[in-house]
Amino acid sequence: MNQLILNIALALLRSKKYKSVKSFVRDILNNPLNPYKKYLDLTIVFLIISSVLILIYEVKNPVPEWMYDYDFYVVSLIFLIEYILRVWVHNDMSQLIIDAHKESEFLGKEFQIASAIKTGMMEKIHYMLTPSAIIDLLAIFPAYRPLRVLRIFVLFRMLKLLRYTKSITQFTEVLSSKRFELLTLLFILIFIVLTAGLAIYVMEEEHNAHINSLFDGIYWALVTISTVGYGDISPVTDGGRSISMIAIVSGIAMISFATSVIVSAFSEKLVELKENRIIENVNKKKEFLIVCGYGQMAKMFIAQTDGQKYNFVILEKDPQKAQQAQKDGYDVIQEDASRYETLSKFNAAHAKITVLCLASSDVENIYITLNAKSISRKIQVIARASSAQMIKKFELAGADHILLPNMVAYTMIRTAIAYPTMYKAVHAILTGKNIARIDEVRVYEHDGLHDKRVGEIDFKTYKLLFIGIYRDKEEFMFIPSKDEILQLGDVLLVMGRELSLNYFMENYQGGLK
Amino acid sequence: MKRAFLFGYGNHGKPIAKGLSADGFYVVVIEGEEKKQQQAVEDGFADTYLIDVTNDEHLKKLDIQTQDQLVCVMDDEHLNVFLTLSLRSLFETNTILAISDSIHTTRKLQMAGADKVIDLYEVSANRIHNILKRPVATKLLEGFINDKHQIGFREIMIPEGSCLDGMMTDEYRFEEHKVLLVGMIDRELSNNFIFVTTGINHKLDSGDTIVCIGNEENLGAFEKHIYSSTKDAN
Repeated sequence: MNQLILNIALALLRSKKYKSVKSFVRDILNNPLNPYKKYLDLTIVFLIISSVLILIYEVKNPVPEWMYDYDFYVVSLIFLIEYILRVWVHNDMSQLIIDAHKESEFLGKEFQIASAIKTGMMEKIHYMLTPSAIIDLLAIFPAYRPLRVLRIFVLFRMLKLLRYTKSITQFTEVLSSKRFELLTLLFILIFIVLTAGLAIYVMEEEHNAHINSLFDGIYWALVTISTVGYGDISPVTDGGRSISMIAIVSGIAMISFATSVIVSAFSEKLVELKENRIIENVNKKKEFLIVCGYGQMAKMFIAQTDGQKYNFVILEKDPQKAQQAQKDGYDVIQEDASRYETLSKFNAAHAKITVLCLASSDVENIYITLNAKSISRKIQVIARASSAQMIKKFELAGADHILLPNMVAYTMIRTAIAYPTMYKAVHAILTGKNIARIDEVRVYEHDGLHDKRVGEIDFKTYKLLFIGIYRDKEEFMFIPSKDEILQLGDVLLVMGRELSLNYFMENYQGGLK
Repeated sequence: MKRAFLFGYGNHGKPIAKGLSADGFYVVVIEGEEKKQQQAVEDGFADTYLIDVTNDEHLKKLDIQTQDQLVCVMDDEHLNVFLTLSLRSLFETNTILAISDSIHTTRKLQMAGADKVIDLYEVSANRIHNILKRPVATKLLEGFINDKHQIGFREIMIPEGSCLDGMMTDEYRFEEHKVLLVGMIDRELSNNFIFVTTGINHKLDSGDTIVCIGNEENLGAFEKHIYSSTKDAN
């Protein structure tokens, strides 16, 4: 028997398919960054809402059979499957069994499969006892129509919605940060309610027709303290009224205290909540930039971004600069980009991320580069370096592109002084001025450029200057011969106005870009 | 020998001074701080002056001729703007270049009368856009900036009687020399730089300056070809 279980565990552990299925299920259930999770979430939310709507409809109207079946079988079945999957992916039983087996082999003691299974089961049970798992379990039960009380089960489905509403999760998180204050408050509340309830019961039980039990007293106390005051029970004796007055005053104090605790919890967490929201939003994008450091360089870059073409967030650790960025109307997160925790919040697995290291110190930029690359090699890093000596270091750190603002400026000054005519051309080309943009045209399969000879293409009419062809893995062809045939994937470099280029592409490629 | 007056020998001044003297300029360094001036002397610049750059009398005493280039690269940007303004008022016809590290300073320097303002970050910021949108073109552009790449710019003044003299820009086959014409300054029209991509056909005359891109070797050969064609004509 032991051997059989061990073999199964081993087989599961070795099976790539099992692993990939399990990790896929785990990802889609638990990873908010998974691009498919939102479809799953939407389905579940739809099921919940539809089943609640059926319940509401049912209060006054007879429900058709199919609706009942839908609620009873479809929704419940899907929730059951979801629950089982959640329990399943919570931990890896097979891994535990194999680990325990290896351990016992290493120590030379007898392998006890029961204890390994027990640890695994305990972990699963532990999960099943968490509030969200309990809600999931209760939500499986369909409304049992004949008994009205049991319809309350549908309400558990409503609670399940909590899992899918981010703001409520955040709300509970914020409140739990003030657990101590709120618990103290709760104890004081219980104490006051009990005391006041007891007092009114003792004082007025004989004189007041509405107070017949201790429960009535406590009910009255809570209604009074909370300032709700239904008025169905009210004190009739002077003693009872005195108690009410004290209860009311202490009630107001309690409420203001509770409000201030909650408000302060929120104002403390507000920045964090906002930042989380920014990260969440940007993570949904397929492609975005992380601009590290909001200095002159970053400002210049963003100022040049005409019409907000990119999705970007700014990371800035200096509070003053971060505030400035916020004032300027950008999404900014006040955190240190060189910390692992900061960058790892971003969705490196599913999105194409480009990190711009624009801090003013090389040390910081190199650190951010390394940090980004350690999170994922897929992250593209464009880093700023202060001098040519730094290039090697940045290359070692893994930066994909290195900017040298100072060097460029010095070259420009030299050019401006030594070759004043050329300077204008160089400056216009380098700053990408409209008239002298160097742009690229990619050759696609079904466009008018594919398989054409260079000589056949009429750049002149379009007022474009044809510079050369860049072909993958080959050296750049500067002014290729007229007989060169354009291949699929070639990139043509041309210089000219954007207008001319668009017109050119429209005619040759049907507006492809 | 062409002279350049370099105001400021700090973070920016040092590398520029070196670059200019490498380009064959006679560099005169002017500093307001003794330490930096000493540094310039140590680095081998013989002509250095320690003056108060805010004082016009001191500036007047400098032997600045009309064809000298003035370069303002003081570390303190306020001082830099003030200096530019003083220089402009004192030397109306000289070319003044200044370095700037923000959009606002650029504008101020231009208002103060600098002929060319080089923004430290403008080009680099643009390169980020290029990397993101046009990765291949950027590689070529990178080559223009650092000398690693083979392809570069060259400006050539058309000598009288050369093969280009009197040609239309459309007529001449620059491709045969493995170079491309980017643009020119047509003296007949104005002193502005005209890109070929404006699509207007220009007549090339002696005295016009053309700017070509191409392989360093080919550019050299092309330039030689133009000059030698003059001799042939003679």
